[in-house]
Amino acid sequence: MENVKKIMAELENRVEEHIHFAVSSLQNMPEQQLLQPAPGGGWSIAQCIAHLNSYGLYYIPLLEKGMTGSSAEAGYYKSSWLGNYFTKMMEPGSGKTKMKAFKNHIPAADADAHAVIAEFLAQQERLLGCLRKAQGTNLNRLRIPVSIASWLRMNAGDVLRFLIAHNERHIQQARRNC
Amino acid sequence: MQFSEDHELLKAHLHAVHPLDNEVYEAFLPLWKPFEAGRKQQLSLAGGQERYLYFTSSGVQRVYTLNGDKDVTIVFTYAPSFGGVLDSVLLQTPSAYYYETLTPSRFLRIPVTQLHEILNRYPQTETLMRKGLAFTLSGLMERLAELQCLSSEEKFRALLRRSPHILQLVPHKYLAGYIGIDTTNFSKLMNRVRI
Repeated sequence: MENVKKIMAELENRVEEHIHFAVSSLQNMPEQQLLQPAPGGGWSIAQCIAHLNSYGLYYIPLLEKGMTGSSAEAGYYKSSWLGNYFTKMMEPGSGKTKMKAFKNHIPAADADAHAVIAEFLAQQERLLGCLRKAQGTNLNRLRIPVSIASWLRMNAGDVLRFLIAHNERHIQQARRNC
Repeated sequence: MQFSEDHELLKAHLHAVHPLDNEVYEAFLPLWKPFEAGRKQQLSLAGGQERYLYFTSSGVQRVYTLNGDKDVTIVFTYAPSFGGVLDSVLLQTPSAYYYETLTPSRFLRIPVTQLHEILNRYPQTETLMRKGLAFTLSGLMERLAELQCLSSEEKFRALLRRSPHILQLVPHKYLAGYIGIDTTNFSKLMNRVRI
């Protein structure tokens, strides 16, 4: 069994950094800069963030629905090999440097860039709420179908770790475009 | 008596409005206790009675209300200023508004019951309160006039003139709600006015 409070606090610090970056920097950039493709034809900043939004759009409502967050219940989380595998694959330090996006998660090149950043911020603020509720939830009892393979289910703690590692990966990609 | 840095900031803030005797500071300041909260934490809920008067030492917070599925920011608070649902603090009745943090925040706060005891015991604190509220009222009237008289672009420019730093501190949707324009319009103004 993992130390739920400690893990969620670490994840919260990471989400806090992502929000801080989007608020202090991304939302104030001109649209043109947000839509500028990366040198070599890679994703623009807006595409990196839209890609993350497509995951948040799927996972955050499922997390919110299943989180009881009651103060009477002690949080419980035990990581699975699958969760560890996915998270490790996504971590910028340990994962592969380049991966191909799945078809439902390929971002458009001509999106409304400021709307994309606003949606990201709204999602991350909700994600903070999930992390706080997670501390009073049995995360292994909440099993969520994986977005790209719905026959596969991960527990909510693994989903949170995977989702935020994935955010970190593409935030770093966006930073390289700034 | 030795006070913390935040207590010294509070003391300087009070002193600028209306100086109190040392004896009063020594009774009043220790009642303010340190309190911290992360981003997007609800401090007061509509329907409940505000239990504290806050003094913001760092971070940004807002008082807001719900309008259907939208929420509308009524006022922002940031250092050094007082915060909380002020009408509920003063009237000691249930609040119609919410108070939440928009960034990680640090405060001093005093329970409303203790605040009222101090106000009853030391007339100079009542004078301080009257002078402080006069500034607050003046600010509110100015904001009300702006909301009713200015165009979207003028409100946007007035916001940037008064608090240019706020653009880098909180998500723009809260700023758009504060000046009563929609977020799409706000980002159009961001693009246009900057150029």
